[in-house]
This record gives sequence, C-alpha cells and structure tokens, in this order.
Amino acid sequence: MVTLTADRRVLHADLAGETIRAASGSMVAYTGTVDFKHAGMGGGGGFKAALKQKVSGESIKLMECTGSGRVTFAQDALDVTVIDLANDTLAVESELVLAVTAGLTLDVKFAGLQGMTSGQGLATTTLSGTGQVAVMSDGPLIALAVQPGGPLVVDPDAFVASTGNLTMNLVSGVSWKSLVGEGSGEPFSLRFEGSGTVFIQPAER
Amino acid sequence: MQTYDAHSLPENDNVNSYAFSIALNGRWFVSKGAMIAYYGNVSFDAVTTWASRDAHIAGKFSSPIYIQDWVVAEGHGKVIVGDRGFDLQSFDLEDGNLTIRASNLVGFETGLELKQSIVPGFVTLIGTGKFLASSNGPVIFAEPPFRADPDALLGWADCPAPSHHYDAQWMSASLGSMLQGMFGRESGEERQFDFTGSGTILIQSTEVLREDPALMRIMEQQTALLSPQQAGLLGQRLVARSQQA
Repeated sequence: MVTLTADRRVLHADLAGETIRAASGSMVAYTGTVDFKHAGMGGGGGFKAALKQKVSGESIKLMECTGSGRVTFAQDALDVTVIDLANDTLAVESELVLAVTAGLTLDVKFAGLQGMTSGQGLATTTLSGTGQVAVMSDGPLIALAVQPGGPLVVDPDAFVASTGNLTMNLVSGVSWKSLVGEGSGEPFSLRFEGSGTVFIQPAER
Repeated sequence: MQTYDAHSLPENDNVNSYAFSIALNGRWFVSKGAMIAYYGNVSFDAVTTWASRDAHIAGKFSSPIYIQDWVVAEGHGKVIVGDRGFDLQSFDLEDGNLTIRASNLVGFETGLELKQSIVPGFVTLIGTGKFLASSNGPVIFAEPPFRADPDALLGWADCPAPSHHYDAQWMSASLGSMLQGMFGRESGEERQFDFTGSGTILIQSTEVLREDPALMRIMEQQTALLSPQQAGLLGQRLVARSQQA
C-alpha cells in the first residue's frame, strides 16, 4: 500500500513496488529504485479522457512513478494536502493535482459554466474510487462542510476542490468585484448546495 | 484536516494565518475581492450605493479615492476573508486612531471611520471597532523614536505622522546632482520615515509591495497644486522616465 504524506509544502510517497501518478516534473528527490515515465494520454486516463481534455481545455500532465523507495514531490512552493477518498469522487482544478494513487480513476466532467469565471475550462477534472490524492494550494487548504439547508458561497478564484453530493450554481449579481471602477471583471461566485465538503485556499489565483 | 461548518468556524478569529472568519451580524466594510467564501445570508454592495440607502454608513467611508475598491457586507453569517495568501491579523481599536497602508487594509467594522491620511497611500481609522490587516510575514511592533523603511512600513497608531529622514552622507554626496534637478538617484535606503512622540509603529517583515491602484489617483490629485508650467515640466519628466523604463 502506497502512503502519501504531506509535509507542509512537500509530499512524500513511500512506494513498495506500486505505481503512483504525479504532476510531470514535480519530483524533487528520491531514494531507492524508482522509474519515472510519461503517463500517456489524458494523464493515464486513457483515450476518452484525453479527448475530453482536448475539447475542454482542462489539461493535466502526469508521470508514472514505479518502484520502491521514498519519492519527494513539490511544485512552486505550494502547500500540499493529502485527501483520502473511500469510494468517492473529488472534483479538482487540474493544475492543482500533485499526485494520485493507483486506485483512483481520472476523468473530465463537463460541469457547465463554472470554470469560465476562473479562466479554467468548461470542465473540472474528477478523481473517483478509493485511494489518496495530493492537492496543492496557495496557503493551507481550508475544508468547509456543506449541509442541506446550509449552502456555501465561494469565490471561484479561491476554489480548489470538492467532494460529496453537491450541486454547484453560478451566482451572479453579487457585486463585490465588478460593480464599479477597476474591478477585475469577475461578477460570479459559486454556490454549493447539498451535502459534502468544499476545499478552498486563502489566496486568489 | 479539520472540516469547518457555519457553526464551527471561529467567531471573529483566524482560521489559519492567512484566512480570517468574520462572524457577521450587521455590517462590515470589506475590501473588494477579499471575500473567499461565506455561509449565511450576506449581501455585498458597493459603498457608493449606500450613499442613498444609508447615508450614515456611507459617511463612515470618507475617501472618494478608495471608495470604489470597497464594499459593504451586510447580513448574518460567517464570512471568510483572505488577501492573496498574505498573513492576516485582526486588531481592536478603542476610541483610538490608527493609520495603515491602504492596500493592506482588508476589512473593518462600521464603528470605525475611514479617512485618507496626509501620507499618500495610507488611510486613517478613527473610533472603536475591529479591523483586519494583511502583511507580508508577521507584524513587528516598535516604539518611537524610530526610523522605518517606507516599503516595510505597515502603519502607526497614536503618534504624529512621520517626517522624511534623509541619510546625511547621501545628502551631501548627491547635492550636486540635486542642484541640477536630478532627483530620484536613490539606491534604496537613503530615505526613511522618522517617527517621534509616543505611540506604536507597525512593520511588516518583507518589503514586497503591492501596486495600489489608488496611489496614482492621489498623485494626480496633488498635481493640482502645481502651476501649469510646473505641471508641463513634470509631465515631460514622467514621459522621459517611462521611456527609460
């Protein structure tokens, strides 16, 4: 069993013969015997995922790391958090995925206009199954629960990932940025309803 | 990792070093874009629209130059604010006054009144209430007499506004070039802010500055003091500077 351990801004992966996928070029050090190779189309998600990514503009570049030893990953000095998934789905901004263990399937979900506001694509990368995923954030990740009757509104630029049974809507008319003057033209916010967890970062991309 | 909800989020306290949870029950002034998430019933409206809704609130924000960068958050709930991953601190003022770099002020309670400082790029908060400030690294507190690097200066409280202090050696060395009207030969540390009297000075631990969109408006406003000839000369110098850059 692979173990991912987040240590502030680096991620340690202890491999014992298994394979994990990690963001290309994010390896900073390793001990033991580990092979690194390009994960192939769609970040190892296969032809369908690759095609969807091409269409959606949601790109993810992953490499496969196989062997035994400890590999350390880091990127842009971003904070790293490991999220455990047990037969669950995580929707995440593709460029914030640092590493994924083997039990998780990568796909692209077309989710309407949500990506438009943050200049991402029209889709979000999803990871489903059982395993661990390491996500990166500018500043420590904050987990916020969404319960029925207790919706959460999030700035699209602070959004990192979400799990659970959530519906996401664009809320416009919230005018804290766009109303007058030198606003950066971002009149939308994301409203989450249902039950699940939303992960945000304390900085805007 | 701890998962927060509307009840378990801190009440007017930091979530971590870079995020703060406001327990909103009424109104707060919030810098545009500082809100990163919220629970509850909260509306965000430009301060300018409050002039007709509630002139008392709009009157608390006494700075036409900064008013377009601010909104009023109104309602009940928990509002999480952050500022580009900078450290966030909350401070309480009790019938006091504090001057702070405008681009580092993130939010304040409506019990406080905001006015533009005489020092360009700074605003003064007067009254009683809580305010949030962001800084590059933790805040360092100091007492006068004290000289601060203008870039590292975050703000000051209870003491007179600072005066400029120029390094004596630099003054004599560059007097010749100054006579020819060649200002701007600073290598970085010749100019300091000089604090006297008694009070507290707030310093941030790095000198990384953010562009303050309002600073240009302030400078432009101040050129009204110049005669038309002087303004023309200044314009020529500024054009020359932008072409050199």
